[in-house]
Amino acid sequence: MDILGYLIQGAQIAFQPMNLLFCFVGVLMGTLVGILPGLGPTAAIALLLPVSYHIPPVSTIIMLAGIYYGAMYGGSTTSILVNIPGEAASVITCIDGHQMAKKGRAGPALGIAAFGSFIAGTIGVIGIMLVAPPMAKFALAFGPAEYFALMLMGIVIIIYMSSGSILKDFLTALFGLLLGTIGMDTISGTQRLTFGVLELTDGIGFIPAVMGLFGISEILINVEQVVLTTLVTEKVKGLLPNLNDWKESFWPMIRGTVLGFFIGVLPGPAPVISTYSSYAMEKKLSKTPEKFGTGYIVGVAGPEAANNAASSGAMIPLFTLGIPSNSVIAVLLGAFMIHGLQPGPMFISKYPDVFWATIVSMYLGNVMLLILNLPLIPLWVKMLKVPYAILFPLILVFCLIGVYSLNFSQVEIGLMIGFGVLGYMMRKFKFEMPPLILALVLGPMMESNLRLSLLLSQGDPTVFVRRPISAVFILVSAMLIVSSLIPGIQKRRARLK
Amino acid sequence: MKRNDLIGGLFFLGVGLLFTLYSHRVEIGTWDEPGPGFLPFWAGMVVIGMSVLLIGKSLSRGGGTTEAFFPQSDSWKRVVFTLLALVGYNFLLKPLGFVLVTFFFVGFLVKFIFPGSWKKAFIAALLSTVSVRLIFVNLLEINFPKGFLGF
Repeated sequence: MDILGYLIQGAQIAFQPMNLLFCFVGVLMGTLVGILPGLGPTAAIALLLPVSYHIPPVSTIIMLAGIYYGAMYGGSTTSILVNIPGEAASVITCIDGHQMAKKGRAGPALGIAAFGSFIAGTIGVIGIMLVAPPMAKFALAFGPAEYFALMLMGIVIIIYMSSGSILKDFLTALFGLLLGTIGMDTISGTQRLTFGVLELTDGIGFIPAVMGLFGISEILINVEQVVLTTLVTEKVKGLLPNLNDWKESFWPMIRGTVLGFFIGVLPGPAPVISTYSSYAMEKKLSKTPEKFGTGYIVGVAGPEAANNAASSGAMIPLFTLGIPSNSVIAVLLGAFMIHGLQPGPMFISKYPDVFWATIVSMYLGNVMLLILNLPLIPLWVKMLKVPYAILFPLILVFCLIGVYSLNFSQVEIGLMIGFGVLGYMMRKFKFEMPPLILALVLGPMMESNLRLSLLLSQGDPTVFVRRPISAVFILVSAMLIVSSLIPGIQKRRARLK
Repeated sequence: MKRNDLIGGLFFLGVGLLFTLYSHRVEIGTWDEPGPGFLPFWAGMVVIGMSVLLIGKSLSRGGGTTEAFFPQSDSWKRVVFTLLALVGYNFLLKPLGFVLVTFFFVGFLVKFIFPGSWKKAFIAALLSTVSVRLIFVNLLEINFPKGFLGF
């Protein structure tokens, strides 16, 4: 079957009323999460994982993917109106977006953000459609050594991208790897560090861990202080950008899309990096760089397109290699696994229905978001007025009953609270979370591939550098580690942070 | 961030020691036949090495500003009470039942964390309990502990 045939098959599934409904719920939840500060897409997907137990796999993936790209849309609204980014990928939108709002141009800023996101989201979906299948074919040549080396590279790249202290990031990644070894060893059946607790036999539950690390810890940080926000109170009117706005924004949107998509494919917090890169690029290319920061529409259009394209691009390593490129995708990978779907090179050929239906649903979701975002902006503004004092107990209740409903286990609630405290301390002590969560997800796969490679090569550790593909991955990892130790690059990483 | 790195380093040193020592109890194996303790042992060893390095770096760095742990003087109360409420929810879930414990949990947090009125706490607790019960019990048909009152 050719791409068109698969697309039609995917459309037949995506257009089923039930899947349309879940796509709608996903993008609506995503927009909401993007709008409400203090709850990121990772936490939101984690919160909905228990609910997804009761929904068919295709619908689950459609809904959760919707939350991811929906959050990218919603994040811009708070950045522009309140100067508080709903999530990290919208930080850069605050600079010019909020300045535009202050000048009474909130409408066109919100409008161009929505259109930019739509255009980028759409082109991004086409990109996945074209890039993912050939990449999956290439990955079919992978053996355990290649997989181990690739996962190692994924973790090294995320460490390289994430923060100032490479030593601390390595420690958190190794901690994740070690936590992943708790439970029954899949090869020998030996119990490891379970201390007789039945719930730990299958390893540390992924859902309690992410809900604690992202959901609970985020709330503990937020309750520390009362944050007063100032809303742009004037009525938002004239959402359609004028002809001049379009003329100025068109190429930045296209450049942002291409840049964002390719940054998205690489491991790391792609949507965040892509917005900074797009903003810097537009400022460099602009004939009037002094306008940036004063409410210039280009400063909204480029980054908003980039973060949406990056969230599409980030789906590629997930679908083709089974490797999450950032923490949101890592939680999404957890959702796949809960439903017995194993993303990887065989995924597209084994589950064409899930893959193509998700692709079509992403396109549909982008249309829904465009329709949702513009007319519903007044409603979103009202949502922002819900006091955090009411909101956070509800999120906590959702975490508690969500985790309990998985296995009716109070041990898992305890685990979630424990991981919440761990996540809180990590945030306080400036230890980054993405390396931990990525290593926790990849840990069991890495371990089995490492042991299998050593078994097959009769204990020869050079197997990882003798095979050409894995040698490339190891070389890239080594280069990144060495380069991050160079003082100049260390400074640049610190600045990125 | 001298103090942060020192505490973090000590924590990870403990983690490394735990996993390295434990791996001996489950057979480390050899390079050509790695056992279940192979990865925990080697990864634990690297963690020990790196945490010692982090501790050393934090001790050798003189001076530096130490940020306050909490942004406001009463922040710790809100964090500790929220945590206590979470732990309390877990302990009281079975004896009190899902409905009552959820009601008290939301009411407590709304009333005491960012102090609000009793009326506000009661309405928030009632509405949230009714809606989560409708969603999780009636719609998703999940069985939660009923407690001594039978609901």
